[in-house]
Amino acid sequence: MKPQTAKALQVGDALPPLTKSIAQRQIDCYSGVRPHSIHTDPEWARKKGFKVPLAQALMSTAYVSQMMVQFCGEGFVRGGRISVAFIKPVLAGETLTAHGRIKSREQEGGKARVTLEVWCENQDGVKTMVGTASGLESDLQA
Amino acid sequence: MVEFKTISYEAVTVGEEFMSDDFLIKPEDVETFAYAVDDHHPWYFKESPFGGTIAHPVLLGNQALLMRHSRYIVPAGLHAKMQFEFVEPLRVGMRVRSHGKVIDKYERRGRHYMVTQFETREEDTGTVLTRGQFTQMIFPESGVHLETTNRQGAAGR
Repeated sequence: MKPQTAKALQVGDALPPLTKSIAQRQIDCYSGVRPHSIHTDPEWARKKGFKVPLAQALMSTAYVSQMMVQFCGEGFVRGGRISVAFIKPVLAGETLTAHGRIKSREQEGGKARVTLEVWCENQDGVKTMVGTASGLESDLQA
Repeated sequence: MVEFKTISYEAVTVGEEFMSDDFLIKPEDVETFAYAVDDHHPWYFKESPFGGTIAHPVLLGNQALLMRHSRYIVPAGLHAKMQFEFVEPLRVGMRVRSHGKVIDKYERRGRHYMVTQFETREEDTGTVLTRGQFTQMIFPESGVHLETTNRQGAAGR
């Protein structure tokens, strides 16, 4: 799907969702393999109450970042913000979909700051992360 | 010489400061991150509007998040909240370091949390690249995670 740009969308509009299947090997690369890690040591994860290792919660902010770079372009890389809460663990092998919906557009230093509600859902439709992300509108789009 | 102790609610103090090791952003770091999150945007590998390539804005999140490991043994960590502000683009070849300060700790529903403010700068120029704050659960040393009570936000490292 072609990325939607900031100026083409209005408050209330949704961005194209971004879906990620999270493999253990990707978690290993993200977190770094080590023993006694709930992310990369299956036995340790079980001891800590998880049936399989967890994806690092921070990975979800990377998905939001990808969505925001596609949407806001340069104005996210320089001037972007993310503020999220991680409300449900994400397990290795799960599929996450990142969503965004435009919440507001406000003037800031001669530019417009576009703020989106953002959230991630797992394959069962359960929210795993909720919050906001924003960027400054620019003419340069990814 | 750093004397490491296992992290606990009692051991962590508000006002306590952390500092990461310095880190050189290498091409392989960008490539590994791109694979890990499946994001191969051309700005990271070919050309960006900033001139040359840049790195993923959230590439250094773990440098900040793991600062407490420079002082404590952390048997497991759950990450409850994250705030980022992206000030300047990250680039391969930058040597970067994060500084942090514990600004709060609290108990909620029987769980302990610590809140850390951080700033990541380029070492050579002192330029601020990223700043923000994060909330981490202080996991009980011998405890297990009770998923059914996970309502306040806590989901990995």
